[in-house]
Amino acid sequence: MGTGEAKIGVFICHCGLNIAGVIDVKRLREMASKLPGVVVCVDYPYMCSEPGQELIRKSVAEHGLNRVVVAACSPSMHEETFRQVLRSAGLNPFLLEVANIREHCSWPHAHEPDKATEKALKLIEMAVAKARLLRPIELKEVPVARRALVIGGGIAGITAALDLAEAGVEVYLVEKEPSIGGHMAQLDKTFPTLDCSACILTPRMVQAARHPNIRLLTYSEVEEVARAGGGFEVVIRKKARHVCEDRCTGCGMCVEKCPVEVPSEFDQGLGPRKAIYIPFPQAVPKVAVIDDEHCIRCGLCERVCEAGAIDFGQEDEFLKVEVGAIIVATGFEVMDPWSLPELGFLESPNIITHLQLERLLSSSGPTGGKIIRPSDGKEPRSVVIVTCVGSRDERANPYCCRIGCSVAVKQAVLLKERLGPEARIYVCFMDLRTYGRGLEEFYAKARSEGITFIRGSPSDIEVMPDGTIKVTVFDQSTGKLLEISADLVVLIAGLRPPGDLKDLAAKLKIPLGPDGFLLEAHPKLRPSEAASRGIFMAGACQGPKDIVETVSHASAAAAKAASMLLKGYVLSEPFIAVVDEASCRGCGRCEEVCEFGAIEVVEEKTGRLVARVNEALCMGCGACSVRCPTGAIKVRNFGPEQILAQVAVASR
Amino acid sequence: MAMSGLTDLMTMAKPNEALKARIIALLARGPDMCLQCGRCTSGCTAFRLLELKPHEIVCSAKMGFVEELVSSKSIWDCALCLKCAERCPQEVSPYELILSLRNEAISKGLEIPEALRDILMTLMETGLAFKPKKAVDREGKAYGREELGLPALRTGLSEQALMALMELLGGA
Repeated sequence: MGTGEAKIGVFICHCGLNIAGVIDVKRLREMASKLPGVVVCVDYPYMCSEPGQELIRKSVAEHGLNRVVVAACSPSMHEETFRQVLRSAGLNPFLLEVANIREHCSWPHAHEPDKATEKALKLIEMAVAKARLLRPIELKEVPVARRALVIGGGIAGITAALDLAEAGVEVYLVEKEPSIGGHMAQLDKTFPTLDCSACILTPRMVQAARHPNIRLLTYSEVEEVARAGGGFEVVIRKKARHVCEDRCTGCGMCVEKCPVEVPSEFDQGLGPRKAIYIPFPQAVPKVAVIDDEHCIRCGLCERVCEAGAIDFGQEDEFLKVEVGAIIVATGFEVMDPWSLPELGFLESPNIITHLQLERLLSSSGPTGGKIIRPSDGKEPRSVVIVTCVGSRDERANPYCCRIGCSVAVKQAVLLKERLGPEARIYVCFMDLRTYGRGLEEFYAKARSEGITFIRGSPSDIEVMPDGTIKVTVFDQSTGKLLEISADLVVLIAGLRPPGDLKDLAAKLKIPLGPDGFLLEAHPKLRPSEAASRGIFMAGACQGPKDIVETVSHASAAAAKAASMLLKGYVLSEPFIAVVDEASCRGCGRCEEVCEFGAIEVVEEKTGRLVARVNEALCMGCGACSVRCPTGAIKVRNFGPEQILAQVAVASR
Repeated sequence: MAMSGLTDLMTMAKPNEALKARIIALLARGPDMCLQCGRCTSGCTAFRLLELKPHEIVCSAKMGFVEELVSSKSIWDCALCLKCAERCPQEVSPYELILSLRNEAISKGLEIPEALRDILMTLMETGLAFKPKKAVDREGKAYGREELGLPALRTGLSEQALMALMELLGGA
């Protein structure tokens, strides 16, 4: 099959009026059926429908077709559909060529139907010319380890790891901080239900740590990633905590005795922590860690530790693991509003971010849940919350942070509750988009509680000599220029991709979108997968998300990964480079240009040099083929002969 | 500590929370629920003629700037068509708020526009909102009801009817 005289069938789809509304399908069919090698040409309203597919199957049998050209929509839409049709018709699925006469023709040329019809014919001619030269491709089953790596231990990573572990997949859960929990552990309450964030998160953290299928690697980072077989070989750096994890009981004696105080990252700088510390009371694992940068090596901790867990000599460890899938769940960063100096973030300790307010609201925070203005510890009587700080702003983040409006409403409600009905809470907004389930009702509740919502974004926030803050805002609803005198200003700062996401993406060889977040394989249909096989994404690393969306996205990523891993094998890629060893002279130029390390020039017993392709690593980019001086290395079905056959038709 | 948070920088006015509370006390849904969509003004009958902007009144009241509203002429421009109350997605009724503001103005003894006063007087005297007028033809000639063969209108309210009217209006 696939050799001898080509018997080509051409199947033209109307796509309703998408194609037939512009292109003269009848004329197209008449002309296409005269092309050399074409033995049958038919058109049908919807070729992808079941009767359309049946039409192809019948024609293959009736006319003994050995090549199929479908002229329809983009191959990214239905190529796989039609490959299945070929398979069920007894043909090798790679003897199919799709001519895209919709996205490449009827849609952009809707205003010139005659020319569009001519172009469609050309596209079909090109497809026919290539189809004649297609060769069958057999896919191999490559075994894949039933193990996964989850990078990031926030709610996204925890959810994905637990889902995979429950499905019987072994998981390495890697977190760069000393504890899992992520941003959700820093929050006081969650919108719109006002569930205590820690209360719903902590059990999941503990569950992840105890699950027999999950190996928790905190204070660890992914060092190297390489494709191997059907999966990946990953090197993980386990940073030295200088505290022995197996021995530490988390009693906290060391923390108490440590004489060095530095601002706590977990408390967003609003409170202190020691040089040896447990980041927060519910930390998992509840194991201390020594901050090397600030530790003065006084040895007090070592002296008080009854478990003998302190180990100043501990060094970074490197773990090499083999996994079949990787889920990236590295979350987001809250931007520092100092880049917008007009908002005065650096001018006063009483101008804080929403994440700092979360720490003030939290009962495990630096003030035990008491709302104070940081400058003097007094209770604020007037608070202004400003939304869209750095979000929807071409000078910072052009995109929406997606959670800011709901955070503003939630924090306003909590502030009103804590500070009493006399306290004045103002929310200055550009738009208030509380779009999730229960959130519109939550916003209504906030309005009914006397929180003042002002449609307008302040341009200047100034600190007065007495320490109060002056916010000037134009209220679009009344046309009034208002001045608000506030004790505390909360900036709902935008969300950004984590600073190290770019490096990680480079290690994984997956692309970022223009916003710096990971780019999914398809914005609608494959939102939790990377374009390259075996890599998935969960949560805000793919773009800002609230907790509900994050958890759904993470479960989706886990399900996608599990469905791949539980099968036990992956199919090899069809369009990879192959070497015609007879014409290869082993010059090694292909090896030089290969970005994926997939090509190696080896010496045969005879002493002859020849290029070999590692099928698991080749991504089919074709760079080698372009570089090869003898035409020995080619991507299957995308070789010079196939491409040039199309070019010849196109340039005629 | 910053106690009274808000200042209108154009008038230097501060919110009057006590007065706001009194004015909105009788409203089914107060101005606080306003979403600031502007639908009331988009449809306002009086906006086209008199530039009445119900959303501005609602939002000013929401922030407590009520004194300026009580003494403002614009609250008397409302034609009481109730369209704003019908269309408000939050069931806030700008019309009711405006009535409440008018009541406050009356109880403070503020002057009401002359045209409205005339209508009121006519009503009290005749039981009709407008005094009967003569019909005028294209040549400018005026005709009374008699000349047109129409029966005379009954004018002047009986003592009893006047009492009933006062009662309806919530008066003595």
